Amino acid sequence: MASREVVRYESGFTKAFNIFSAVFIGLYLVWTLLPIFIMFMSSFKDLLEAFKIPAVGDWAGVSVFFQFTPTLKHYVSLFVDGNFSQYMLNSLMAAGGSAIVSVIFGSMAAYSLSRIDFRGKSDLFFWIISTRMAPVVAVMVPLYAIFRSLELVGTLPGLILAYSTFNLPFAIWILKGFFDNVPYAIEEAQMVDGATRFQAFRSILPLVAPGIGAFVVLCILFAWNDFLFAAIIGSGGAKTLPVATRELVQPQNIQWGAIMAAGVVTTLPMMLLGLVIRRYLVTGLTMGAVKE
Amino acid sequence: MVEMTAVQMATRRAEGVPVPTDKADKLFRVRAVSTEVEARPLEATATAPTKLNPTASKRYYFYLMAPAIIILAFISLYPFFWLIIMSLQDADIGTSEWNDFANYTRLFTDSRYLDGWVLLMKYSAMCLSLQLGIGIFLAVIINNSRFEKFLVTAFLMPMMMAPAVAGLVWLFLYNGTFGWYHWLFQSLGFLGGASILASTSTAMLGIVIVDVWQWTPLITLITLAGLKRVPQDQLEANMVDGASPFRNFISVTLPNLYPVLLIAFLLRFMDNFRFIDSALVLTGGGPANSTKILPIYLFEVSFKFFKLGRGAAIALTLLVVTIILGMILVRVFDRPQVKKG
Repeated sequence: MASREVVRYESGFTKAFNIFSAVFIGLYLVWTLLPIFIMFMSSFKDLLEAFKIPAVGDWAGVSVFFQFTPTLKHYVSLFVDGNFSQYMLNSLMAAGGSAIVSVIFGSMAAYSLSRIDFRGKSDLFFWIISTRMAPVVAVMVPLYAIFRSLELVGTLPGLILAYSTFNLPFAIWILKGFFDNVPYAIEEAQMVDGATRFQAFRSILPLVAPGIGAFVVLCILFAWNDFLFAAIIGSGGAKTLPVATRELVQPQNIQWGAIMAAGVVTTLPMMLLGLVIRRYLVTGLTMGAVKE
Repeated sequence: MVEMTAVQMATRRAEGVPVPTDKADKLFRVRAVSTEVEARPLEATATAPTKLNPTASKRYYFYLMAPAIIILAFISLYPFFWLIIMSLQDADIGTSEWNDFANYTRLFTDSRYLDGWVLLMKYSAMCLSLQLGIGIFLAVIINNSRFEKFLVTAFLMPMMMAPAVAGLVWLFLYNGTFGWYHWLFQSLGFLGGASILASTSTAMLGIVIVDVWQWTPLITLITLAGLKRVPQDQLEANMVDGASPFRNFISVTLPNLYPVLLIAFLLRFMDNFRFIDSALVLTGGGPANSTKILPIYLFEVSFKFFKLGRGAAIALTLLVVTIILGMILVRVFDRPQVKKG
């Protein structure tokens, strides 16, 4: 694979095209990273400095962006004055809880779906995945009514259950692909040696562990980044980071410094996790339709 | 396309190696079998071990499946029935009484509802065309480049951000007095004094830009994965025959990318209906309803005015249309490809 030679052209047109491509990539890279960069920088700036901007068309004036004395006061206001450690804990528990629920039940279901054939299997499969395609707002209207009567609104269990609407189908869909790659002969051999069926199932889990690990992370990512469910189902007792960040926008006063700091707190862990599971990300985000 | 001589085919058949038929050929675009594979002893190509349990006692597996199915039924089937019932009621917080089909008949005269559909289609069309155009172009030019790995990692970053948080950051960037992007737009002569989100003519573009910023990389990633599977030997063979890179792209790369692009398209199409986080944070439907795409209107009706019955009726239409559109799209795009000469 690595030794495959890529033939390159050297005509005048191709050269021009290559230069154009390089410029395009460069500009795109800047446009992709700039908002994130500005968020990071602004979270360490005093508001007066964050609001400093050159006159229209004054391109040299852009340097004011880098002129500031770093301050941690926005982070202090989040965690010391505000209640952000609690919101962070809520986010962590809701995301982690839904990941655990989804992966435990999801892997059991994915395993069975991978091992047997029955009538209507493809219909069942389509139903499972269709629950993930539905618009979140549309799902939420009845879910809110049901959860309210069960007194699950504003609680972590309610939020975890709500997150299962998208994480559980996702786990089943993806993990089935992993179990499909494990031949049944391995379990058969275990059972010949006297293992029960459940022990045989457990014995192949290490084989799919890397996949499961990556999908726990992806489930956490989806739940952590969710806003609508958290805003409606979690409102009150189970406020998560995106919701708390949004609440820093008040009609009279938008606390930009705190918002940027909260943005960093919300984004940074997910970026690091994303780097760890980079390899599985395409499979995950496309629900396994494209395998790298 | 691999050309096989009649002699080759006959020897393959004699050896028991499956010979690609025309139909399979069209579907899978068989690659040339390398000499290494052909030299392998025949036993190695014997059937792979089965994945299915040959002596399945199905009951055990159904027990394993049950918890997940029960949870899913509780959070998707049961609410779906509730959605239908609620849509026939004048449901509010705590109260509900039957009003037959009043919720539905009202929809036909509800201009915001109808506008919501138009705006949603406009929004989807803008997002999709920009994302597909830029995303595919990016994938093609960074494929096999020296910096591919680094670039892909960098492109991933916006996707890791919560859409609501991304919306807030862009709100800051768009701000009419201190936003850097506002300054940039003005410096380039695109905008007057008002922020991009403050004017009814540009607000839609404002939310589209954020969606494009966050999700174009996904198209690039998917396309890249597809590009890795384009058979290189076909490209090389065409090149030897004197085809230009552009010609090669049109006649070899693009048909091979087709299934992958279909997935990318469908995924983003569905997501434009599903996620409204960033749009909700950025404009909340304003100014003057110019960005009130249907899901935002639905959110407002249900959770701002708590007209849950009316919301349910709107939600049901949105749900049904999403499913129908998804199915039509799959049909249209999934037609067998016309083989190009």
